[in-house]
Amino acid sequence: MWRIALRMLLGDRPKYLALVCGLGFAVLLISQQAAIFMGLLIRATGPLQNVAQPDLWVANKFVRYVSETRALSDEDLSRVRSTPGVLWAEPFFSSRVQCDLPSGNSRYIQLVGIDRTTMVGQPPVVTEGRLEDLRIEGAVLVEESARSKLENVRIGDTLKLNDRRAIVVGYCRAKPGFDSPAVVYTTYANCLRFVPLGRNAMTYVLVKVRPGADVRRVQEEIGRLPDVAAFTHAEMTDRTVRFILIETGIGINFGITVLLGLIVGLAVSGAIFYQFTMENSRNYAVLKAMGARRGALIGMVLLQAVWVGLIGYGVGVGCTALFTLQSRQPGMELAAYFPWQLLVGSLVGMILCISVGSLLSLRRVLRLEPAVVFK
Amino acid sequence: MSGAAEHAVRLRGVRKRFGRGNTEVRALRGVDLDLAAGQLVMLVGPSGCGKTTLVSVISGVLDADEGVAEVFGVDWGTLSAEQKTARRAELVGFVFQQFNLLAPLRAWENVAVPLVVRGTPLPRAKQAAVEALRRVGLADRAEALPAQLSGGMQQRVAIARALVGRPRLLVCDEPTANLDARTGQTVMDLIKEAASGRDEQGRRRCVIVVTHDNRTFHYADRIEEMEDGVLKQTPAEFILREATHAEPHAASAGGAGGVAGGPPRPGGAIDADF
Repeated sequence: MWRIALRMLLGDRPKYLALVCGLGFAVLLISQQAAIFMGLLIRATGPLQNVAQPDLWVANKFVRYVSETRALSDEDLSRVRSTPGVLWAEPFFSSRVQCDLPSGNSRYIQLVGIDRTTMVGQPPVVTEGRLEDLRIEGAVLVEESARSKLENVRIGDTLKLNDRRAIVVGYCRAKPGFDSPAVVYTTYANCLRFVPLGRNAMTYVLVKVRPGADVRRVQEEIGRLPDVAAFTHAEMTDRTVRFILIETGIGINFGITVLLGLIVGLAVSGAIFYQFTMENSRNYAVLKAMGARRGALIGMVLLQAVWVGLIGYGVGVGCTALFTLQSRQPGMELAAYFPWQLLVGSLVGMILCISVGSLLSLRRVLRLEPAVVFK
Repeated sequence: MSGAAEHAVRLRGVRKRFGRGNTEVRALRGVDLDLAAGQLVMLVGPSGCGKTTLVSVISGVLDADEGVAEVFGVDWGTLSAEQKTARRAELVGFVFQQFNLLAPLRAWENVAVPLVVRGTPLPRAKQAAVEALRRVGLADRAEALPAQLSGGMQQRVAIARALVGRPRLLVCDEPTANLDARTGQTVMDLIKEAASGRDEQGRRRCVIVVTHDNRTFHYADRIEEMEDGVLKQTPAEFILREATHAEPHAASAGGAGGVAGGPPRPGGAIDADF
């Protein structure tokens, strides 16, 4: 009976392709929208992912997400350094700065400042030039995906950051933030030149805990300092994701889009599969008349549903995977992230879609009067 | 076991209605019928008189509203849907006007369907299906799809399918309606020979043919005429005589004998031994 079921399914190529495409489209709708959503969340935590060394991020206690700039003072840095259990604590700067390009055009960039001596917070990969050259006064490294945004500036070109001269000494690769501005690295000392904020210039103090010290305890100690709080990498990620989800409205908007994708997928795949069963109802009636049992007919419909469902799922997630790979190309503004959890979620979505279609179809098949074979 | 008096079909007071109120149609209005094994019975009558409803009830694909419908001692009315399905698979073979072959399946696969439905392993089912096709003269078309076969060939595949499981009751609904005269004759020859066939235990078979085609009446061992949901008590000879007047060439068409003796079966490749 399995063979008959599959031959019925595969025998009519146009209908079979329509089924697979319909289901593939439904899965694509669900998984691609969800992948973009996940990608945006991941992108929002990009600045965190770029910095691997510290155990704690010390920030203003009201900071809501990683890219929010709420300045700390030099005193804050000193207090954190003197907290028991702290191995090292280095300043980290991150702020939006106006950049004048050689052409005379200008745009905003995300200026990241790292400690000049230790280079803690350095970009993950330097693709051209040398990291050490950042120590030159006014030197900057341009993030690869920002090349085009900065009109393809080359090494040696001069930019103006807040009307102060900066020289491009190389390129690096780092993850941009949520709003994807051009990222430019320099030293904290250079930042103070570009953005003269006096003693309140720091965005974060990056902290490494002494070996053997309890991170949680050090975190609590820092939390007792005035106006600051210490966050682990996971806590800051969580804070950032929660901010994006709740305060930007992206959560509800993408949630609705994914839900719509699911509803459209349910409707499309359910309707197509039901139509397929309708068109084969005479065949089912013949099988019933010949003595095909209820269980065998249920098995046939479910096999067909699972078959087209899995192939449609493969097509859908395959397209989403291609889309995700494409979004990883340097310079692409697409934000897509496709973890295994999304694969599982899409599979659940597909199962839901195909369940609706097969339940409708089964209802039709099981209620079918075998006497229609005489009509 | 195989005595001539064995009851194949027994109907008592069978009634069937469709619709309700103003749209109600009383398709069967108290039908009594006894058919013996080993007979080819033709059910004739005008369109809408209830012939198809009657064979649907006899073959167990439609429940009667009232009355008793028994086939070889099996009372359809006492069985659950699943039991009925199982017994139908053992007892009944079908030949339809529209052939009802499964378009995506090859000829042998179509023929094998009743065996597969009964759980026969595919290699054995294929062997039996190819043998059945050989008996209807289509051994060389076993791999063809229905769309690659002529109407007559498709109906022969349908006959092979109906008989491959060696059912005790063969129900044929207008088997020649979509065929030309010559092909129809070939098909009727096969059906006539099936009527003389036996099931796996060697028990005799009963064949019921619903038809409008008066050229085929002479194949019948018995003719039952329906009108307005009841069986008329018309002598078979009268029906055949009427048919012969209506179609001057009918009596000269081929056949394996029947009510009127019938013309001889044409010689040829058909070796029906189902």
